Amino acid sequence: MPDDSEWSEEIVEIVDRFQSCFDDMERLELLFEYAEKHPSSLPMDMWNDENMVHGCQSRAHVVCSLNDGGGFMVEGGADAQIVQGLMAITAIAVNGQPPEKVAEHDPSYIEGMGLSRILTPSRANGFMNMVRKVKQEASSLM
Amino acid sequence: MSPTCPSARGVTMALDVEEIRSHFPILQRILPNGKPLVYFDNAATSQKPLVVIDAMSDFYKQYHANAHRANHTLADESTAALEGARDRISRFFGTSEDQMIYTGSATEAMNLVAYGWARYNLEEGDVVVTTEMEHHANIVPWQELSKEKGIELRYVPIDVENFTLDYDAMEVAIQGASLVCVGHVSNVLGVRNEIERVIEMAHSVGARVALDSAQGAPHERIRFDELGADFCSIAAHKMAGPTGIGCLLVKSEALDEMGPFLTGGSIVKRVSKEDTLFQDGYAMFETGTPRMAEAIGWHAAVDWLEENIDFREAHDYVHEISSWMATQMRNIPGITVFGNPEKEEAIGVISFLHDTIQAQDLGYLLDAGGFAVRTGHHCAQPLMEAMGVGSTNRASVWFYNTMEEAEAFVAHLTNIVERFS
Repeated sequence: MPDDSEWSEEIVEIVDRFQSCFDDMERLELLFEYAEKHPSSLPMDMWNDENMVHGCQSRAHVVCSLNDGGGFMVEGGADAQIVQGLMAITAIAVNGQPPEKVAEHDPSYIEGMGLSRILTPSRANGFMNMVRKVKQEASSLM
Repeated sequence: MSPTCPSARGVTMALDVEEIRSHFPILQRILPNGKPLVYFDNAATSQKPLVVIDAMSDFYKQYHANAHRANHTLADESTAALEGARDRISRFFGTSEDQMIYTGSATEAMNLVAYGWARYNLEEGDVVVTTEMEHHANIVPWQELSKEKGIELRYVPIDVENFTLDYDAMEVAIQGASLVCVGHVSNVLGVRNEIERVIEMAHSVGARVALDSAQGAPHERIRFDELGADFCSIAAHKMAGPTGIGCLLVKSEALDEMGPFLTGGSIVKRVSKEDTLFQDGYAMFETGTPRMAEAIGWHAAVDWLEENIDFREAHDYVHEISSWMATQMRNIPGITVFGNPEKEEAIGVISFLHDTIQAQDLGYLLDAGGFAVRTGHHCAQPLMEAMGVGSTNRASVWFYNTMEEAEAFVAHLTNIVERFS
């Protein structure tokens, strides 16, 4: 079992929802749902080479910043809904956190959600590159 | 319902598919999500019958040694197996062993045409003709050679209404050409090009013809000598053989015009500090330790195909399934099927997209149901551009697939569209 000690209440609730899914199709349906309600979606006209996440099989972009209170914010956009859903859940996990904490972020909730089987190595590689980019940006914003 | 019986649509299946499937252990696979594997990614690579796996395993367990290099028993056995495979495989393709060069892949075979023939025979301003429909393996080597030698590269466009080559444009493009390079079957559209017509057209202007038969060889018996092409590239792994080996079939007159491509050991008669005297014929092109296990596996694959598969029957069977799938898929809201898989000569490939579900997403969603399809540009980006898309999903059928799998696929795709669009 993944280490859930760092998960916020929201992430615990999300993990519970995924764990109650009947099969992979339901899990993917739920992931599409989160893609639709990304809390900080990056508009397509802001997608560029500079904010592109490399290693994704589809296009993915992230822009990181600090809000007025000094909390970390990640905006993300992807053409694939599965990637967008993963970005949305990552945004829920890290938005508002101090950048020092985001720089140490562990996306263990993916395993808890039962998505590690869907995220085969080639797909996980893109997701992990996205997480790595978020952590690097957080380090530079500290 | 047995696949050997008439299906629900009154289609008679001549092949004993249940028996054929029993030779392929992987087709019994249950995926980690509990779904049985339905393998519709055959145009990427085919699965292997047990005899191929056993032949390669037996080689490593019983007589593995480096061929052509020693006098001990194992080396003799290994050499005999390698050359026996060349004899058998070349006869399977309707030619003789002296006209077959082992390569690492069909891509390497096409590079061998570029760097072993064209580099030695073409000069600045000479013309090479290829088409928009090609796999990158039949485009990039020509672009690179064009930069190196200053040859002119011409592209025959596709007829975007019919998803075929534009043969009228080809008539014009081949005027003054030295080499015409064309795919036997499109890996994206499944269209079988009129290769006999292309060969006749090219030869009428004195051009040599290179066929990329990577997708053609799994679906029809190639009779190289009868066909009359000068070069023909083939990949073993797309026709029940192992990965890591292919061949270039070469007409002897063209072979005589070739020079070395990859150089090193095995391909030489004598090497001094100043120069090298190369072997003659195919032996000039197989440097390094030969692909022994792979050749032995390919030998087993062609034996198995000869014994178990009537290619005409297999083509009809694959066509029954893929044309039915294409017709059904066109009825699913939002799905576009590219090309004409329903045409009798089409070869088991269905490229498709949904208008709101992104291609990668659709690939994952199909995988969640146990269906393996390819997603991407299929190494045919100029064709994608001509079609006005960046990628497609592609289901590709071979003789071990069943109508039940096709029905399950269409049902799952329908379910995806209902739930995710």
